[in-house]
Amino acid sequence: MKPIINITWEYPPWAIGSMSQELKRALPPAANSFPISLVVRGDRDGLIEMDGMRVYTAAQSIRDSPHVLAHAHALNIDLLRGACNAYHDAGGAQLIHTHDWVSSLAGAYLSANTGVPLAVSIYTTETQRAGGLPSLFSMAIFDIERHCLSRARWVIAVNEVAALRLKKDYAVPPSKLIPCRGSLATAYKQMGASR
Amino acid sequence: MRILSLAWEYPPHVVGGLGRHVHHLTEALAERGVENTVITFSDGTSRPVETVGGVRVLRVNPYSMRYPDFVSWVHGLNLLITERAKSAAPFDMIHVHDWLTATSGIALKHIYRRPLVATIHSTEMGRRVCLKNDTERHIHDIEWWLAYEAWKVICCSYYMEGEVSRNLLCPRGKITVIPNGFKAVLSSGPGASSEPFDRTKYAREGESIILYVGRLVYEKGPHLLVEAAHRLGRDDLKFIMVGDGPMRAFLRDLSVKLGVAGRVSMLGHVPDALLSSLYQSATVAVFPSLYEPFGIVALEAMGYGAPVLASDTGGLGELIRSGYNGMKFTCGSSESLAAALASMIGDRELLRRLSENGRSCLGNYSWSGAAERTLDLYSRVLAEYNAGSWKPNA
Repeated sequence: MKPIINITWEYPPWAIGSMSQELKRALPPAANSFPISLVVRGDRDGLIEMDGMRVYTAAQSIRDSPHVLAHAHALNIDLLRGACNAYHDAGGAQLIHTHDWVSSLAGAYLSANTGVPLAVSIYTTETQRAGGLPSLFSMAIFDIERHCLSRARWVIAVNEVAALRLKKDYAVPPSKLIPCRGSLATAYKQMGASR
Repeated sequence: MRILSLAWEYPPHVVGGLGRHVHHLTEALAERGVENTVITFSDGTSRPVETVGGVRVLRVNPYSMRYPDFVSWVHGLNLLITERAKSAAPFDMIHVHDWLTATSGIALKHIYRRPLVATIHSTEMGRRVCLKNDTERHIHDIEWWLAYEAWKVICCSYYMEGEVSRNLLCPRGKITVIPNGFKAVLSSGPGASSEPFDRTKYAREGESIILYVGRLVYEKGPHLLVEAAHRLGRDDLKFIMVGDGPMRAFLRDLSVKLGVAGRVSMLGHVPDALLSSLYQSATVAVFPSLYEPFGIVALEAMGYGAPVLASDTGGLGELIRSGYNGMKFTCGSSESLAAALASMIGDRELLRRLSENGRSCLGNYSWSGAAERTLDLYSRVLAEYNAGSWKPNA
């Protein structure tokens, strides 16, 4: 069975913020029901088995960036490299699932070129984090979020506030939106993923 | 053979030499049966899809998103190029030009598991002399990344081969030198005019035209020409500068300060027909670059019979054999430039010989020759790729 490729910039022990812990709680139970390959930024390019998943690590290729936006763009090419290894190793994928804007570009690239459907989980939006769009910088991140959301077949709102912002600020149609009230496995089932 | 070429500029959107290079090369490759698709930039005024000169061109418009700076704009352009590549598939190889399309080339290499060839036209370290801030270091890092990910790297001169090897730590065995070609398109290009050229608008009878063509940026050394005008102190020399850039106001102030404002004219961008006439009327065409990976403008000047005087640096230093098809002066020295100019202007026989030899050496720089060598490189890369195990599996 072809895997669901999850792409994230953090998963323990590669932790940056709270998303890594949320994924640590959500992904292993889902991996009991669905084949999951996880792509995460690591110290080197590699493949390990962890928490019932095949974990592809992608090393950071470049050291210097003038700001987080440029850093995120470069990071997504690294994550894409890991995702491509997961994709080609398995002979394809049934779903690509990314987590927040910071890893969604990698999913959008792979989805656009392979036709594998994309699901994007949103934990917080730029409009929440920045309290609107106070700068050109915020607008640029908002545009990337909106771009990736438009490419996604499904958008998973991880909490009620995110669901509200996605509808109000990003005009995500309700037909696309999957409120993640239950487990991730339930959401995958809703998307028609195969076990 | 099916090639996907990625370039941030391609006609009608041309910023510098890179766009012309990709245009001429892809068309020359198309004449040899290569199926070439170029994905490039559009500002919305050009067609999103068209086939010109046997080359299929797909354009993306990055202004559908907002960016805080140029680096973010480049990343946005690459985002759209990467997604658009699906319409260009299948292809056998990806050919990227400079860091400006590096990340999309690297992305597509891994998605399709196809070999990546990179032409590195110049480097950030070469352009800036040193890396002073995070933006410059970011661009430099991407250049390193491109050289690392590329199966083979093409440079347009041996000078650039050294620079890419030294600055980007690229093994010499991975680099192939393929000089640019030259195509005299100016007189029939866009903006061609039927108006006859009136030389007296630029110089009186008996006065010599000293022509500079290039962007008005520090690395091209236009300030050296203004300083040389001052050093020469001759009213019978008219310095015509074609091109625009951020140094324009500085150069105007400098020429006023040095008392040569009446002898230096800055025309900005000019129609191609006028440029070809200026080349043909020039007593000497001067290229005082401090950094010049190749120097295609020098070939352009030779093509129109203008005797060339260029700084002894980079690709210019390789193109010109001093005293045969041009003259060279010490890079960065306005004294040396003024002295060389003075000796050339006084020697009609030398000017005639330089003009004649300049034209005759152009045969070494044809786009058909560059296309042959590029095609040969493509074939070698494909043979190596086909013999290996790194292949798509989906």
